[in-house]
Amino acid sequence: MISLYARRRAVNIVASSLMFAATCVGLFFLAWILWTTLEFGIAAMHWDLFTKDTPAPGDGGYGLRNAFVGSLILMAIALSIGVPVGLMAGTWLAEYGGRSRMAGLVRFVNDIMLSAPSIEIGLFTYAIMVDPMGHFSAISGGVALSILMIPIIVRTTDEMLKLVGGELREAAIALGAPMWQVVTRITWKAARAGILTGILISLARISGETAPLLFTALNNQFYSTDLRRPIANLPVVIFQFAMSPYANWQQMAWAAAFIAIVFILGISVCSRLLLRSGVKRT
Amino acid sequence: MNRAAAPQPAGSADASTASAADSPTASAADAPSAAAEPRPEAFVPKITVRGLNFYYGKAKALNDISLEIPENRVTAFIGPSGCGKSTLLRTFNRMFELYQDQHAQGQVILDGENILHSKSNIARIRSKIGMVFQKPTPFPMSIYDNIAFGIRLYEKLSRGAMDARVEGCLRQAALWDEVKDKLGQSGTSLSGGQQQRLCIARTIAVKPEVLLLDEPCSALDPISTAKVEEMIYQLKAEYTVVIVTHNMQQAARASDYTAFMYLGEVVEFDLTRKIFTAPREARTEDYITGRFG
Amino acid sequence: MDSSEAAVESKLPPAIEEPAAAGRGLSLPADFLFHKLAVFMAAVVGATLVAAVAAIGYDSLPAIKVFGVLGFLESRRWDPVSQQFGAYPFIVGTLVSSAIAMLLAVPVSFGVAVFISELAPGWIKQPISAAIEMLAAVPSIVYGLWGLLVFAPAFANLEPWINDHLGAIWGVGALFRGPPMGIGMLAAGIVLAIMILPYIASIMRDVFVATPARLKESAYAMGATTWEVARRILLPYTRTAVTGGIFLGLGRALGETMAVTFVIGNSNNLSRSLLMPGASIPSVIANEFTEATSKLYVSSLIYLGLVLIAITLVVQILAVFLLGSLRRAPGGTR
Repeated sequence: MISLYARRRAVNIVASSLMFAATCVGLFFLAWILWTTLEFGIAAMHWDLFTKDTPAPGDGGYGLRNAFVGSLILMAIALSIGVPVGLMAGTWLAEYGGRSRMAGLVRFVNDIMLSAPSIEIGLFTYAIMVDPMGHFSAISGGVALSILMIPIIVRTTDEMLKLVGGELREAAIALGAPMWQVVTRITWKAARAGILTGILISLARISGETAPLLFTALNNQFYSTDLRRPIANLPVVIFQFAMSPYANWQQMAWAAAFIAIVFILGISVCSRLLLRSGVKRT
Repeated sequence: MNRAAAPQPAGSADASTASAADSPTASAADAPSAAAEPRPEAFVPKITVRGLNFYYGKAKALNDISLEIPENRVTAFIGPSGCGKSTLLRTFNRMFELYQDQHAQGQVILDGENILHSKSNIARIRSKIGMVFQKPTPFPMSIYDNIAFGIRLYEKLSRGAMDARVEGCLRQAALWDEVKDKLGQSGTSLSGGQQQRLCIARTIAVKPEVLLLDEPCSALDPISTAKVEEMIYQLKAEYTVVIVTHNMQQAARASDYTAFMYLGEVVEFDLTRKIFTAPREARTEDYITGRFG
Repeated sequence: MDSSEAAVESKLPPAIEEPAAAGRGLSLPADFLFHKLAVFMAAVVGATLVAAVAAIGYDSLPAIKVFGVLGFLESRRWDPVSQQFGAYPFIVGTLVSSAIAMLLAVPVSFGVAVFISELAPGWIKQPISAAIEMLAAVPSIVYGLWGLLVFAPAFANLEPWINDHLGAIWGVGALFRGPPMGIGMLAAGIVLAIMILPYIASIMRDVFVATPARLKESAYAMGATTWEVARRILLPYTRTAVTGGIFLGLGRALGETMAVTFVIGNSNNLSRSLLMPGASIPSVIANEFTEATSKLYVSSLIYLGLVLIAITLVVQILAVFLLGSLRRAPGGTR
């Protein structure tokens, strides 16, 4: 009797210690990654990063301006495609599609695309845009990123619109408002905090994505805003610079990584605040 | 307030019915000749329902309803849960069309046309028939815009004219004094009773002829309820009001006519004071006296 | 009925008994346009999956024509110079690195989830959860950068120990023998494990926390230990969601590019040892795509992408079957 209880207790102590250790392991790696990124990233920060462009191999220069600008341009393209498509598709699912067969199919496909490897999205965009065009381009990079964004926006829009109570729609319909006004001026407004959060989350998702850009926008050593040419961007710059033997390139890679993490954390904080304020108002 | 009808002048005396003031009961048990009491007031039907059947999928919720709703009066629908009173109300503005499996058959006649399959613009019908719901549903916009939203659907008004209209509606809803300094604030920042009065103000802003109220006070406290009931009393001068309520005292207080419904049928329809003092049907009496409900 | 009825009746067209048109008020052109636009976008979304597979398949055709299916899958040669391409080393690399990642991440995730749900004092649950979720916010390129420049050198210090001690074990020792380079299959598996940890852990934590308190309490009340509750109550009750979470992590591991590319060593040769460099399908595509000179080269790389789709598809189908049977078996939920 006693030895059985003692054994169970021993097993529990060992197991609980292991689980505590597991948590420590997880936190340890998080701390390690964040700490080194902070340490090397901050050490590598310099005004030149924002005023000069990426230097040629071996010339010892310092600058990331074209990469910042390029990343912003890519995000702008991705948003301008991803938000309309995702918002309207999500709206169709919540307001018109309901439980129809087509709605089920669209949701199913969307779920699969949500966890599709980004490298496949990159290859897909290569096949439909870069190959026919004959060269890499910023616009195809933006398209690849938008394909990554759309499933997230569709999902959150669908869910958030479904949360809006039927009585609000009915009240607008009872006044004689046409369906499109009910959706755009009432339902969208009621769900706007959640929808915006979804857009922010999708933005955070694409801001570190490298693989899809490798096959579409590639990189550009020089400053360029031409959408039909390859364009510089932070993730591919990190990719190239990190693997290189040059010390200044490696430093810039850390700086870029640091800025990327700060950007993503900033978006997370914004979206959390947004969600909380949206909830308070209803 | 004594609602036992004092003869109502002008407005309602209408030559559309050759013989004035017939008793509009739905029960065919009424003896045709001498028993029809001469009404002390004119009864002009605003909405006429004939042979209305309603289905949720295959289940029949309303069975061959025939009824007349009098103009410029308050008519109450009462009955136990599930008797179909809200369903009936929602056929009047075709609200059921939002839901795929709900169908209506029969006639609901307003101003000479059957709105159930009217070919004309459903928006125009809905602008004539306003609806207020059980749960207050302020739109996610300012108080001012809540009212202006409906108006903007149908009219293009200058800023000054819109301001005047908004003020007028809020006054009619007995809300103006409470919100006149915060018209820019969100509609959701108001209390429950205020929100419901805002919804009523918003509904009358589009100048309907009929007001449908689906248990408008059930989510409100007694003081807000009293304010809303008082407002309803004022409103009937201009509008035809139909109110669904599960609160019999409210029906007795606030309405001129009452329809008692049970299991999808209109069991009895008559002047409120008659229903509550000398109902004709046994089922009505059972319900009124609380034997079931 | 009554004469008032008769009077009204005379004004009306003859009564037509017809169900009302189930219109949705789509009477305006604006309504029509809005609806059509929404349907169109939804259709675009619905078509992406098929379009992706078709486009990738189409661009793989040149390579398929040259190497066939089985030939490509079994061939171990990847030689751009002689234009000979085979997928075998990369399939193995993908599967092995993902397997290592899962073997490491699943138990650790389980530990984290149980700790947060059952062991941690109340005030610490939220911060730890937030911290674990922050691991998911770190983009994979940063994992790669850190993996190459920080983790690999540190791991290189550990590798001699592994080589000497684990490498001496009879039978499996060959897996652990190799030079202390830091990068390699094992390193890639470890970095991958850290990457997928937050996904699996947060799903497990969510369902453990959502398990009805009465179930846990009745077990605790009988004197069960935390470990026993976790093993015999939490896990069986949530097995469907947990399995779903595990497959989600697996899917991520299989398709992960940047974290693996930096750390796996990029050798196109198959090696028996985990300490040696290798390559996975995503890593070789990422590394060689921009330098692919010939059409066949590019097409072969895209063909590799098609193989990866097939692998993830097989995993998805497995998941559906497994989840289905888990759901049907008694004792669990959902």
